[in-house]
Amino acid sequence: MADEYKIEAGLYYTNEHEWAKPADGAVLVGIDDYAQSQLHEIVYVELPQVGAEVNQGEAIGAVESVKAVSDTYSPVSGKVVEVNEGLVDSPEKINSDPYGEGWIAKIEPSNLEANIAKLMDAEKYKQYLTTLKH
Amino acid sequence: MELKKTHIYAYHAEHGNMVDFGGYAMPVWYEGIIPEHNAVRNSCGMFDTSHMGRVWAEGPDVAKFLDYVVTNDLSGLNEGNGVYSVMCLPTGGIVDDLILYKMGPERFFVVYNAGNREKDFAWLKKNTKGFKVKLTDVSNKVAMIAVQGPKAVEVLGKLSDINVSEVPRFNIASLKVSGIDCLAARTGYTGEDGFEVFVLDCTLEQPEKALKVWNDLVAAGAKPCGLGARDSTRLEAGLWLYGNDIDESINPVEAGLRWVVKMKKPGYFIGKRALQKIIEEGVKKTLVGVMMEERGIPRHGYEILDGENPIGLVTSGGMSPTLDVGIAMGYVPPEYKELGREVNIRIRKSLVRGKVVKHRPFYDETKYGWKRDK
Repeated sequence: MADEYKIEAGLYYTNEHEWAKPADGAVLVGIDDYAQSQLHEIVYVELPQVGAEVNQGEAIGAVESVKAVSDTYSPVSGKVVEVNEGLVDSPEKINSDPYGEGWIAKIEPSNLEANIAKLMDAEKYKQYLTTLKH
Repeated sequence: MELKKTHIYAYHAEHGNMVDFGGYAMPVWYEGIIPEHNAVRNSCGMFDTSHMGRVWAEGPDVAKFLDYVVTNDLSGLNEGNGVYSVMCLPTGGIVDDLILYKMGPERFFVVYNAGNREKDFAWLKKNTKGFKVKLTDVSNKVAMIAVQGPKAVEVLGKLSDINVSEVPRFNIASLKVSGIDCLAARTGYTGEDGFEVFVLDCTLEQPEKALKVWNDLVAAGAKPCGLGARDSTRLEAGLWLYGNDIDESINPVEAGLRWVVKMKKPGYFIGKRALQKIIEEGVKKTLVGVMMEERGIPRHGYEILDGENPIGLVTSGGMSPTLDVGIAMGYVPPEYKELGREVNIRIRKSLVRGKVVKHRPFYDETKYGWKRDK
């Protein structure tokens, strides 16, 4: 059943289904294929504030379908340096491309190594999904 | 605990995304809430509502009995007429909302909410004392399918042996659908034209008749819709959801349901004394519609504020696929009910601006719903 979902290698995952992708000294974050498929038809994304200091595990926004709302938790600590403004008018990009065009925020990490130690790599995350009911 | 199933379960299990809805295994969507919602607004959608409660009430005192337990006036009904009502506790709190159809001089068909099936039947039963009336719960022996949308007449018409366009709104008629004995009421929970079709003599154990009607309706052009679209269409129509917008702590005057309370009908009805007092003294809160003026989706339980001052709570809210804006129903003190009044909704950490609007329905009635311009 974990095979139903696309899990990208090289990314780090939270048990709340966010991903973090370190690149060029910053970290891109978003929600993963499992999360987008559970929500289905995403109609609204509340983006974090650029400049906000966030802690790992802290709610930084939300992703909503017609029926449900799901908080987004930051996978890493640091400062939000950019948000994906394209999601304001096209929130469905999270459905179609959760690891690409559907990224949510770029964070300048303050404690990356310690944060990553608490996240799952693709292999571990795949294992974790098999333990879930859906 | 194993989930209860409806007559149409076999179809849902194969095609739907299933959830536990009040103990029933029901589809939340098949293809998606938005395409299903749009089918209801623009064409024809179809819902399995067999989890709702259905009761035959019969006997020489049936009319007197029902007029005693519900607030609306049934005395003027002719055979085939239906009426929307609530039934109240002696306190005036709402036990449930329901539709009652007069089927004969001593025979009514009563339809109420899924979540209240046991409670309502027990409540009705308890109050039959002194009346010559017999109640039979046929929820598991009669399936129920709602066919809704501007093309509902055309779609149901393809399978019917009567001209369904001639059934007036809130009336019910006997007919055959796909050759199977049914009742069709010109009612629904979406704001659109349409029918609630009751497939008679069809048990949970032998659901073939209901499945045939369902599958034939699919082939005739009705798009199967799940509970997600059921909720989004009823919210746009501004219709009350029991458990959210109304319950035993809310009275019909607060809920904007004063029009189904007939104080002048002959005889006493349960809750009359309390409601008389409520009407005389006025209410402290009233149900209003709110439409968002800024981005954000109001949800059940969110705070409604005047500036930064909390004045009430959202009881139903969501994104309107038709209007592409967040909409909500909620209770505020009556001084805030005037249309156009600015209010805020607390959505997580932010105050998001909205305004009080007419909620029944939220959409433009010349464009959507059963009254739309043809």
